Amino acid sequence: MNLGQFRVSRTLSILKLAQRDWLREDAPTMIYIIKVLIACLIAMWVSLRFELDQPRTAMMTVAIVMQSRTGMVFAKSYYRLVGSIIGIIVSFVLVAMFAQERVLFLASMAIWIGLCTAGSMMFRNHQSYAFVLAGYTICIVGLPATIYPELTFSIGVTRISEIIIGLISASLISDLIFPQRIGEVMTAKIRRRFSDFLDMLHVMSIDNIGNTSSQSAALRIVSDVFELETFRASSGLENDASRTYRLRLSMLNAEFMAVSTSFHTLEQLLRRQNVTGHPEIVKALFNLYQLLKNVIDFDNRSVRDEIEARQLADELKYFRASLQEKIDLIRKDLPNNLVGNEQLDFEVGVELFKRFVDEFYVYTSTYASLGSKAAIASKDSIAEHPPQLGIHFDSLAVTLAGIRGALSLIAMACIWIFADWRSGVEAITIGIITSTLFASSPNPRKTVNQFIIGALLGSLLLYICNFQMLPQAHGFLMLSLAVTPAIVIAAWLTTRPAYATIGSGVFIIFLMHIGFNSAYNANPITFMNDVIADFLAIATSGILYALIDLTTSQWSRVRISKKLRELVVLACIQDLPQHPSILETRARDLVQRLNGGHRVASSQDKEMVDWLLSTLEIGRAVIELRDQVTEVGDNETKIRIAECLDQIAKLYTSPSIQNQMAAIESINLAATALDNVMVFSRLPQFIHHRLLTMLHFIRCALLDKDSVLSLHNQSKELKKESANAS
Amino acid sequence: MPREIAILDALVPTLLLAFMVSVILSWAMDWLFSSIELYQYVWYRSLFRFATFICMFSLLGLLIY
Repeated sequence: MNLGQFRVSRTLSILKLAQRDWLREDAPTMIYIIKVLIACLIAMWVSLRFELDQPRTAMMTVAIVMQSRTGMVFAKSYYRLVGSIIGIIVSFVLVAMFAQERVLFLASMAIWIGLCTAGSMMFRNHQSYAFVLAGYTICIVGLPATIYPELTFSIGVTRISEIIIGLISASLISDLIFPQRIGEVMTAKIRRRFSDFLDMLHVMSIDNIGNTSSQSAALRIVSDVFELETFRASSGLENDASRTYRLRLSMLNAEFMAVSTSFHTLEQLLRRQNVTGHPEIVKALFNLYQLLKNVIDFDNRSVRDEIEARQLADELKYFRASLQEKIDLIRKDLPNNLVGNEQLDFEVGVELFKRFVDEFYVYTSTYASLGSKAAIASKDSIAEHPPQLGIHFDSLAVTLAGIRGALSLIAMACIWIFADWRSGVEAITIGIITSTLFASSPNPRKTVNQFIIGALLGSLLLYICNFQMLPQAHGFLMLSLAVTPAIVIAAWLTTRPAYATIGSGVFIIFLMHIGFNSAYNANPITFMNDVIADFLAIATSGILYALIDLTTSQWSRVRISKKLRELVVLACIQDLPQHPSILETRARDLVQRLNGGHRVASSQDKEMVDWLLSTLEIGRAVIELRDQVTEVGDNETKIRIAECLDQIAKLYTSPSIQNQMAAIESINLAATALDNVMVFSRLPQFIHHRLLTMLHFIRCALLDKDSVLSLHNQSKELKKESANAS
Repeated sequence: MPREIAILDALVPTLLLAFMVSVILSWAMDWLFSSIELYQYVWYRSLFRFATFICMFSLLGLLIY
């Protein structure tokens, strides 16, 4: 090969690489932008063709529901429709009742907005969005209707027609032009999560135990679980293979939560042992763990796809079968001079390890079954339905959010009424959009700041479009050319996660005030008034978000940690049977609301994760203990353990060092009672063993000086002392 | 066929009803096709669905006018 050829081939290979990168990274973005543009223009054309009043409503609908994944568009469209219809009905009712009395009208509207904001806080994702839209629709229908009450019905019908046009064009375009199926994304996500999890198992070793790196992993797991749940829910509306295994996916999700909790519990236990335990026991437990590591090792790398996962599942099956022998071998090697508690340390570790291996096996085999065609073809043969991810929220926070939404409406309404200001309607509309839309975002203040930047950019584009381009546009083609740049810019911004809010700001502001309805009607004075109204409204809701801060403040963290502790209390006192996965979903949901899927930002976030993990640890142990106790016929043991549960419940209701000591003391008493020969002879051996290990496990967790509970108690004690001293 | 139908005294264009009927029909067809796995012979599923929907809707529309 001569030099020239070499150069050509090298250039070609570079170009090929570049092309592959482009296809992976940029092409989907470009396709998405083109899809948004086409859908917007079709919606605009159809609305103009049908001579509806406000083509912008249809365009706005497109901008709102458009997502890169087809199934998400369907889901969002559905909820948008539901939300809008409810909003329109409510505005009919309000107009019918208070058309002549603006104060009463606005007051009842404020109540409605409050309800909608609270609803959007309670639910997740698209459901939450339906509430936002029910609130927003009342502005675009109810407010104009108060000015012309006789036209209410026709305004309502026109708006809903425009919205439906927008929804249909968005759904059609995203389904017909390069549809991006949710199933593929989901498979990729599940695959990545599985290999991430394996990596996490891989990394843990005797040297780096107690590092905090696993905490960010834990937080990622929390958000992953809920993200996948959203995908799963949306995939139901999409028509492809993924629909057939939805049930399996929820199963997988539940199993994943269980196995990750078990892993963290095991990790915590090993960390504690490493600090306080007997070195021989630590070594023995890590040897045990090393055996598992050898199994998951595939030529020094993690499992890549479902087929390899199938192999791994088979290997795990063998591993499980031979586990007892291996444990016995390791147990034999333990030194003879161990005292009772140290022996128990080992037994607790073994129990946890067994549980972890069992759950890991189940998770792996479910995951592997996703890949095999036969399993999918046989449809869902799973008899037992996986537990639903229910809705769990902090009712006080939700109430406050509702009050916040209502307050922002009242503030805007007061300005409107007292200043007799013509752009009051605009101000109220934008105020309501910003105060409902961002209520469920993890950091509303930051989101509002971004939205303001978007609004600035949008107003600029709007000015250029309304007064430079539209006056010269003749015919539909020129009109499309005039609106294209802003739509493209906004759509591009929404594809970048860091600028997504800016993009939606551009979209909302641009499409709200675009200078044509059925004919050109932009007017510089109205335009300036409206823009000022927009910024005033955004600023007002920004201030209200800062005043009533429900997500980033210390207060909300304290509340969430208290809620988490209440879950443990519930686990102690609620009637059996309790499913551990209900505890899991509740606890994770609480933390997820606070975090919204972001990375661990501060030490406070870490504290929340610690609380979450400690809740799950103790809560599961308590539930298991109670399950065991039901098998016990012996009264004395029952009373002892009931006493323990009472003490733990007390500790978690009002954590303090005294209560902690009392709980540990009661566990000690129960453990000694169990050791009594009389009791021993009355209980079956394996139940006795399990009771003892569970009790010991809880005791260790409570004794841990570095646990979040102990730290909490210590800081409380310190505060009390300093208060006494001063 | 009348071009507008009164439902609860509200005049509704017959075309809207035709639209609803064809939506329901295409859903039914979709369900049927996916349950007997006919879709594996279709190259572009969503385009196929859309096209059949348009056919149905146009047919009904032509019947009305």
